[in-house]
Amino acid sequence: MGVIRAEPARVSDWAANSVGAAWRAFDLQLTVYAGLLVAIGLVMAYTNSVEDGSVPLEAGTTFSRGLMWAAIAVVVFIISTAFDYRWLKTLAWPIYAFQLGLLVLTLAIGSGVGSSSRWVSIGPLTFQFSEIAKILMIIVLSAYLASRQGRLDSLFSLVGACVLVGPPLALVMLQPDLGTSLVFAGILAGMLWMSGASIRWLLIIAGGVVAMIPIAWTYLLHDYQKARLEAFFNATPDIQGAGFQLHQAQIAVGAGGLVGKGLTNGTQTQGQLLPVQATDFVFATLAEELGFIGGIVLFVLFLLLLWRVLTAGWRSRDAFGTLFAAGVASMILFQLVVNVGMVLGIMPITGIPLPFVTHGGASLVSMAAGLGILQSINIRQTRAAW
Amino acid sequence: MSNFLDDRPMPVRSLSRFLSFVLIIVIAVSGLTARLFYLQVVDGGRLATLASRNQTALEPIVSPRGLIYDRNGRALVTNVATFVVKLRPSELPLSQRPVVVERLAALLRMPAADINSTIDGNPGSNFDLVRIAADVNESTARLISEAGADLPGVEVAVEARRQYTDGPLMSQVLGYTGPVSGDQLRRLKADGYLPDDLLGKSGLEAQYETQLRGIYGSQSIEQDASGRKTQVLQAIRQAQPGDSLTLTIDTTQQRYAQTAMLWAMKTVGIKRGVVIVMNPQTGEILALVSLPTYDNNQFARGISNADYAKLLNNPDKPLLNHASQAHYPPGSTYKLVAGSGVLADGKITSKTKVATKGYLTLGSTRFYDWNHRGFGACDIYCGFGHSSDTFFFQMAGKLGIDRLGYWAKQYGFGQPTGIDLPGEVSGIVPTNQWKQDALGSKIFPGETYQAGIGQGYDVVTPIQLINAYAALANGGTLYQPQIVRDIVGPDGKVVRPFQPKVIRKLAVPASVLKTMRNAARSTVTLRHTYNLVDLPIKVAGKSGTAEFGLKDSKGRLPFHSWFVGFVPKDVRHGSFDGNDSQLVVLAFAYDSRTKGNVATEIVKYYLQMHFGIQHDYRLPNLLKRGNFYQSN
Repeated sequence: MGVIRAEPARVSDWAANSVGAAWRAFDLQLTVYAGLLVAIGLVMAYTNSVEDGSVPLEAGTTFSRGLMWAAIAVVVFIISTAFDYRWLKTLAWPIYAFQLGLLVLTLAIGSGVGSSSRWVSIGPLTFQFSEIAKILMIIVLSAYLASRQGRLDSLFSLVGACVLVGPPLALVMLQPDLGTSLVFAGILAGMLWMSGASIRWLLIIAGGVVAMIPIAWTYLLHDYQKARLEAFFNATPDIQGAGFQLHQAQIAVGAGGLVGKGLTNGTQTQGQLLPVQATDFVFATLAEELGFIGGIVLFVLFLLLLWRVLTAGWRSRDAFGTLFAAGVASMILFQLVVNVGMVLGIMPITGIPLPFVTHGGASLVSMAAGLGILQSINIRQTRAAW
Repeated sequence: MSNFLDDRPMPVRSLSRFLSFVLIIVIAVSGLTARLFYLQVVDGGRLATLASRNQTALEPIVSPRGLIYDRNGRALVTNVATFVVKLRPSELPLSQRPVVVERLAALLRMPAADINSTIDGNPGSNFDLVRIAADVNESTARLISEAGADLPGVEVAVEARRQYTDGPLMSQVLGYTGPVSGDQLRRLKADGYLPDDLLGKSGLEAQYETQLRGIYGSQSIEQDASGRKTQVLQAIRQAQPGDSLTLTIDTTQQRYAQTAMLWAMKTVGIKRGVVIVMNPQTGEILALVSLPTYDNNQFARGISNADYAKLLNNPDKPLLNHASQAHYPPGSTYKLVAGSGVLADGKITSKTKVATKGYLTLGSTRFYDWNHRGFGACDIYCGFGHSSDTFFFQMAGKLGIDRLGYWAKQYGFGQPTGIDLPGEVSGIVPTNQWKQDALGSKIFPGETYQAGIGQGYDVVTPIQLINAYAALANGGTLYQPQIVRDIVGPDGKVVRPFQPKVIRKLAVPASVLKTMRNAARSTVTLRHTYNLVDLPIKVAGKSGTAEFGLKDSKGRLPFHSWFVGFVPKDVRHGSFDGNDSQLVVLAFAYDSRTKGNVATEIVKYYLQMHFGIQHDYRLPNLLKRGNFYQSN
């Protein structure tokens, strides 16, 4: 008793432990649930490729690209797990600078549909830096809030967090990518909540945000964004124009019924009826082909995953780990609700991917990094549990 | 055993915040689940139906309409690609309609009222396309198709339209196609006609609609739930192109006939006329001109309401084919009937002489000969040749009205000839029964006299009259006049070859017909029809001057001028004893305004062109001198 107490953990401590001990702390469930979600995403990419009439394994199909990104994600996950997360606290400010740099770079050299710039090409890969920026934001916020431990219910901490999120959010907004900037806001809200920020001040700020909506509508939103929102709130949607995707997606979901039409049998999602079915509307394909049962399986996997993420945070002995887990959970939940809600017609259309499932390299890689860091937190906390 | 890290500051961990976070997750995912359940299980049936409707629909494939050629293979109509503007009323909100119609009207340069009446007259439902304008030029079509949201419900399509090679020259024969009307659609829907379909509206286009149209195919297309075509999946049944028609009409002869008629119209001031050229041995129509005419290309391009109203309101009725769709008193040309009748019934022989006078008296009424001095004792050659009215009053009297009617019907009067053009009228052959039915009394003797010379109740169509003389010329066979020679399938094979159709063999003995042919020749040799005397070819025929309407201020009745003539096979040396004629020509000049027998001049001019006679035998001064309105 007490022989080895008193010393905070250091890198060398972990290095001294056996790999087996680390493995016991490693959360296998978390990895399995995420892996299953990625597998579902790949199956959807496969079925979409088949319906496109292409050979799924040929280069350039949704499926083959999905496979490639999954492989990259595995590598990123392993590296992140091995990396001692505590260094992230130390590196928080450089990371913040790096994040802003990525977003400025996207604005400068990015390409996108029309005048937007969201994607950056690196060699053969196109990358959406804003996806990476989300996970970097969680790191920075976790480090900041952890450093304010003990004063977290003060207004200053709260405002400080908002000020930190402000520049990246604005840069994403400029791309323009309304969806991702909302994810930033969602992450911030979740993390503040878990940090124990004063409920009174949180409510006041939320009220302020609501009050800002008319101003944002007039000055910040682009016409297409307004059209999408109007289509969503319109009682009789304009099914020819802006409401077209929404309408088609709901028909696709409804056509799936209880058990779905079977993989690759989605008629609605075939051809051009449902735009961007491979990416943001992937849930429509899933719902049509795998039905209500398939949808429930997906939801249960997300619930379990979120539970494991929050558990990792709960078990963390330092505030950074807890807050980081809260950030990742907020991000996953927010994206799940907005993406699926959009397909189901209860959320406006925004270009937010469904975590793990949506084919889209940056999203998957940043999720892999997030989970890797969580595992890193897991295996560096529970030494004393045995 | 205590945790070796226990002395580290406990991190920010609030159980309440943690549990409330978990609660939010559960509520959010439950909400998604509930919505998914509603969409897929509760509302799934309806949406599945929508999705399947989304999926495929059958769409007709329009078959290429058959073409029409003249007897020498000259294309009289072709199909050309054209932009058509259509509108689906259900997609045009009522509140926006005035604005959209205004905008369309400006783009299409047509009156907004026309567009409105077209939409309101839409034969189909509000969900069916209405044809607004055809033959829209490419830049306008592009503008409209790009206007999209500004012109809701408006679509631009590429369709084939009819291009009539000779326009007005053939309009009366070919007719035109036009949008299907509500009544027609109800009738034809079962045959696969579409609400925005075109069909033959007049002339051969209407008469041979079934053959020309072909059979529409069908293809399955992929549509979204709002009816937009996203792609063609497959053809279920290929469209079968329509059959083509080869006409008996010869464009050159048609042009000669029109030239002759137009010349007379210009020289005399006639407004309306008909020229028909026919082969009496087969019933083939070589030329059929009815003036005034119109340009059927106007209809093919989509005629404006104003232009259509102009055609409808023209007193000379350009849309009517006066050769078969209108009847007129035949005048002296009708003496063929009485002449053949009395000879065939043995009331007289070819040698019988009858006294002709200035007039006959019946009760207190005098029936004047056109020649108020009469012609003395006359046989049939003299009576027919001089066109003596008193001669034929007596012949009609000998026959009686019913027997006269019998012979008229033998020659095909009083019934449609069956020519393959729509809307043929039957004319009137007065008999006791007819007058009883029509007017409620018996024929008076004076009316019988009038009937004998083609006045009074008698009315005939030009096609009936030429057909009667064709039967005379060919030795007694009444053929059904035909305007379509062959019907040719899309593969070039003849589907229906030409076959002369006999209506009847006349009950008139061959010897009587020979007498009547020579009597018809005597109109020239006796110099009655002096217009033809100098012509180096032998023509037999009969002129007619048929009074109609009301007397003018000077007590004169306006009259039509007729001439129907035929030539022997050997036009210079042949004889009318034979029945080998290959050519019958009829001219009819409505309200002819001249005593110079303009119809004969028209036939003469046509024959000059037909036989390539270099010397011009026309007598324009005669026509001018005798002008009913200009001189005196």
